[in-house]
Amino acid sequence: MPEIDLYKDPYRFDTRPIYSIIYGDQLIEDDSPSDHPYTGAWDFSKITIPFLPPVRYENTAYANQEESDTSIVDLPENQDPITQANVLKSEESQVQELIFRIKRSKFISYRKGLANRLLALFNDAKEEDPDCIGITAGSLRNFNNFLHLHTNIKCPTISLTPDYNIYASWKGEQNRLFSVHFLTNADVRFVIFKPNDRHPKRKIRVSGVATSDILMETVESYRIEDWILG
Amino acid sequence: MKGEKIPDPDHIARFCRPMQVSDGQIQAVAFMLRPGEESLSVNWLEFLNCSNRDSEITEIRNIYSAKLNVGARAKLAVINVGEVCEKVLTESPDRRNVEVLHDPMDDDPSHSGIYNLEPDGELIAELILETVHETYPARTLMQ
Repeated sequence: MPEIDLYKDPYRFDTRPIYSIIYGDQLIEDDSPSDHPYTGAWDFSKITIPFLPPVRYENTAYANQEESDTSIVDLPENQDPITQANVLKSEESQVQELIFRIKRSKFISYRKGLANRLLALFNDAKEEDPDCIGITAGSLRNFNNFLHLHTNIKCPTISLTPDYNIYASWKGEQNRLFSVHFLTNADVRFVIFKPNDRHPKRKIRVSGVATSDILMETVESYRIEDWILG
Repeated sequence: MKGEKIPDPDHIARFCRPMQVSDGQIQAVAFMLRPGEESLSVNWLEFLNCSNRDSEITEIRNIYSAKLNVGARAKLAVINVGEVCEKVLTESPDRRNVEVLHDPMDDDPSHSGIYNLEPDGELIAELILETVHETYPARTLMQ
């Protein structure tokens, strides 16, 4: 029986990337009995960072299909593989599931209050117009991803734009304001109002567009962390 | 008269939906356009010819309750026309010239609109929010 060398570098002789492939014709269902979403063979509990790395999928129709036309697709709005099945669900049930996940998230300290606020907004929208979507799933997913990237951020004031997107605002002293409109893709539109330190009678007012993953880097020079971090 | 510019000393009321209000405070989203909208719907208070603000608000509530499903947490924001135009002109990065024009409807003669809110609707909405000094519940407790 060959001896296993734990220190052997598997890439020493073959530098080609190695992909792990899952075959099947069934969608992945989140039927985990615990509070955590089903993680399959990957033990995410041992990963300390609260954000899952981007995932690439190999699409094949059937197991062991020869000469199958495989391709790797990126799913930018579904970085969590578990949500892959949600694509086929109605937008409304996706929203409810996302709110449920926020409520159970270990990385958001104000999760219950936030989930209750989102639920109230959803119900307000539905009460006014039962045929509306309540909250746009893509926008809520974008917001959720942002919160998981910045777990030390204060709970914002949440409202809904006329097209049911999430609009989050953080306000500070002297009319400091940082507001973010989470669009249905990964984009955000932001507004910053803050005093002009060199000219006390004037204010700085800026707005812009970014993606939610680089938003904080984009606005770094405005030092908004002074009033939005907990 | 349709297209008439509402005088600067006059006031307009904006209906703010419950999802645009947080802890009783109106949020900037109340002043954003729906996709495809050209102007933000408001009502010209002085056009109603009431004797005081309470009467104007009562009249506005009647108009909205006839047209809309008014939620318990919905609000009315009252804005001075001259102040909002001046605020946006002087504080928006592109010195935006918003216009408040009368836009009467058959069932709502005081209906008006705030025009030229896009592009950069989020920043303009935040500026408009700063000019809101009077708010009222959009429906009375009896409703």
